[in-house]
Amino acid sequence: MSINLKTPDTETREQRLGTITQWEGTAAELARDSAFTYGCSKGCDNGGRRLCEQNAPFAQAAMCAETIAVSNATIIQGSVVIQHSPIGCAASQSSTCRNYRDLAAQRGWTLEDPVSICTNLTEQDMVFGGIAKLEQAIRIGWERHHPKVIFIAASCATGIIGDDVDSAAQRLEEEIGIPVVPLHCEGFKSKHWSNGWDVIEHGILRNLVRKDPPRKQKDLINVIHLGGRDVFAPLLGPLGLRVNLVMGGNTLDRLAQTSEAAATVTMCFVLSYLATGLEQEFGVPEIKAPLPYGLDATDNWLRDIARVTGQGEDLVEEQIARERARIAPELERLRQALAGKRGFVAAGAAFAHGLLADLRELGVSVDSAFSYHHDPSTDSGDPRQDSLTHLVDTWGDVPNFTVSPDQHFQAHAALQRTRPDFVICRHTGTVAVLAGRLGIPVLPIFYSNDGLGYEGLLTIGRAILRILPRRRFYQDVAAHSRFPYQKWWLEQTDPYALEARPTESGRPL
Amino acid sequence: MTPLDIETSTPAAGACGASDPLEQVRYVCSLGALSSVIAIPGAIPITHCGPGCASKQFHALSGISAYQGGEFYVPSTNIGNREVIFGGADRLDELIASTLKVMEADLYVVQSGCIPGLVGDDVESVVRTYQDRGLPIVFAETSGYHGNNFTGHETIVQAIIDQYVGSYDGPREPALVNVWSLLPYQNPFWRGDLAELRRILEGIGLQVNILFGHSCAGASEWRSIPRAQFNLVLSPWLGLATAHHLEKKYGQPFLHVPAIPIGAKLTGAFLRQVADFAGLDRQPVEAFIAREESEYYLYLRDFSSFYASCTSQYQLPSQLVVVSESAYNLAVTKFMVDQLGLVPGQQVITENPPEKFRASIRAHYRDLTEDVSAEVTFAEDGHLVHQAIRETDFTGQLPIIFGTTWEGELAKQIVAPLVEIGYPTTDEVVLSRTYVGYRGALALIERTYTTVVRSNTMA
Repeated sequence: MSINLKTPDTETREQRLGTITQWEGTAAELARDSAFTYGCSKGCDNGGRRLCEQNAPFAQAAMCAETIAVSNATIIQGSVVIQHSPIGCAASQSSTCRNYRDLAAQRGWTLEDPVSICTNLTEQDMVFGGIAKLEQAIRIGWERHHPKVIFIAASCATGIIGDDVDSAAQRLEEEIGIPVVPLHCEGFKSKHWSNGWDVIEHGILRNLVRKDPPRKQKDLINVIHLGGRDVFAPLLGPLGLRVNLVMGGNTLDRLAQTSEAAATVTMCFVLSYLATGLEQEFGVPEIKAPLPYGLDATDNWLRDIARVTGQGEDLVEEQIARERARIAPELERLRQALAGKRGFVAAGAAFAHGLLADLRELGVSVDSAFSYHHDPSTDSGDPRQDSLTHLVDTWGDVPNFTVSPDQHFQAHAALQRTRPDFVICRHTGTVAVLAGRLGIPVLPIFYSNDGLGYEGLLTIGRAILRILPRRRFYQDVAAHSRFPYQKWWLEQTDPYALEARPTESGRPL
Repeated sequence: MTPLDIETSTPAAGACGASDPLEQVRYVCSLGALSSVIAIPGAIPITHCGPGCASKQFHALSGISAYQGGEFYVPSTNIGNREVIFGGADRLDELIASTLKVMEADLYVVQSGCIPGLVGDDVESVVRTYQDRGLPIVFAETSGYHGNNFTGHETIVQAIIDQYVGSYDGPREPALVNVWSLLPYQNPFWRGDLAELRRILEGIGLQVNILFGHSCAGASEWRSIPRAQFNLVLSPWLGLATAHHLEKKYGQPFLHVPAIPIGAKLTGAFLRQVADFAGLDRQPVEAFIAREESEYYLYLRDFSSFYASCTSQYQLPSQLVVVSESAYNLAVTKFMVDQLGLVPGQQVITENPPEKFRASIRAHYRDLTEDVSAEVTFAEDGHLVHQAIRETDFTGQLPIIFGTTWEGELAKQIVAPLVEIGYPTTDEVVLSRTYVGYRGALALIERTYTTVVRSNTMA
């Protein structure tokens, strides 16, 4: 299956990858059944069956693709984002600004406020259309800030009233002479917010990557990440590679030159749309080796990068040995300190699989995970990117594997079932706050590069040891507060107790 | 000082007129009034909207702004393709039924967002089937394109009054008052402020329905609204629509005090005004005021040492820039001018108050204290707000900004300390701190001059 870049609209994850958001079982079962979606690329007799997605009647407010697409567009330096929407969609401006300033401080960029402008649509615009206001906002953005690129983010409202955002983008692009990139991130279109990454990466591929690159940069490797410290240069620099860190805040030049690189690697396969697109459109190979979580995986990841780029093939074994030796004493100390501890992982798909591997490498026992969605396949269709199977094969099964779009009530049941010593999670929202209030120390991973590579094991291990003593605080609060659930749900340990399990034949997706 | 005529930006929120694009937004949408529901102990909103709408509004107001809490488990239909194409009323029905099975609350408020409004879901009928079963559930139409969280707040309040509290023709309780003041969560200090207001009103002998926040008793307070002797609207305009509604519905009179009092002078005057309106015996009122004042002025005496002796050393500010919604804008301006002797510089009101209230808001600023008057600018767009401040004449003055996180860069440019008092406030962690009444005034002084000293010693 290939990525379709002909239309401004992105095919959703559900359409491309068979993404599901509700499931309960063991990791081994989920990996086995996902093989069906992979189809013959894994060998035809793979034992899989169509994934039966659950369908809970109760649901709590989730997140949307617009938030992801807009925040990632806003933190591109020199951009202005027009949120073509009623004012509420722009509520994320302040947190995106705070995030950008944090990134800027960490990465040494100029400390400034990123710019997004909301078209502030009212009832009148719902009736008569909002295109004139969109054009006005684009001109205001241009006159005030003279950006290098303007993104237009569509919203549920403009998607429903049918504003022709693409034509407006074309007209204004000609008028002001900079790229004007539409992002079709209407929240209702996909049941999972991770679609927002596909949308922004789709826009980048179509509009911002240099077409017909005049040269190849043989020592340049694209690294797609979510923001945070550059943990990649110390790993890849010794092989003779220069890191082109994209997404998570970057310049347009970095995006433009992605087509010139020797290869692309992603820190999470959830973000691999851009990597697969670069391979498909520009022949920049995507590194498909399992992600660098845990020692062996990191070794193999480095070897694969050296092999694919042809850089540092003679140096890589030495680099691996040096890094392993460097972290060995501290890793040993951490393993001893964490021995006997029970962890719980909550994160999105491949990212969750990575954190599970990290914890097990650290000697923490983990028998429960909470994945915010599940991608049975990846855009490349390459089985090496099947991170769940890799996890199960390398580290064994995870008996309680819940897929839930960050649902508080389900996470509550899952944590009641496991009662771990600590929780490690992506996002600072639902699960982090919930775990704390249940009396469980929690480590939210805000900067998602923290767990990567050899150093990542130390970063995560040390962070866990720092939060464990906060049990005192959390347990005190837990003893003096309650959740507004009915008693039967407070005692519930099955996240999907609210609905009948699907029958063997399964319900249609 | 010349006020800029840039108030053409957006007409009354909630009106279906024109609006202009906004940069650096300073409020959320109508659906964001779900925060007001969350602010009522024991109440839960049920949201019928897109998948990111509800959490985005609440995260903005509570999670990132002053880190007020942000714990969030609000039921939502998370509308997808199917509901957009085939309608979402059935899905809402299923969600309400399962909410009643899983969650526990005294009051459920069903709120609709943009999508149901556009695809034409009959939400009211769905909710009515539950009301007919006698369940404590109400419906409020809060489509994001209909207004902001200020107007959404009044929509929700009136929905609860009409559909939950209901009609009443029993007796009134003398000295029981309903207080309609700051917008929960939008103002980072609302919890502490409402607690302080409750404390001082009880201090003069009133019984108080504070209606929101940690010092509110929850649904029982709301049910006792019709029994109150009167309503107190303590803000320039927010709550007036509700007070008029209650006047009509229950024949309840209301007292409107536009400026929330900060400091002993204004708080004493406020308490006497309320006591007179309520017909309270004046002796205990004066006794309470005297007790509060004696403590307050001991602290002010101590502060006067700093205020007198450090004026030059720390370049103590002399001119005031306030950028916030009107309630805090007016309150802080009056206090800083009347109590501390600063001069007004630029007062920008950012919540887009309905047009019909703007003349009276202007009038309040023309009478800040005996001999001080100021003009006010209505602007919401961050770029225009900052333009107005940059064009202000600060000659010979040392400006200080009371504003939001959005004023951070501007404050550096004009070399003014910044005290965050409004949404968004991302550099403050706020729990019970209050800036109003007697205790709040002292906290505001502390925060202001800690900021001033630090900006001198750390810059």
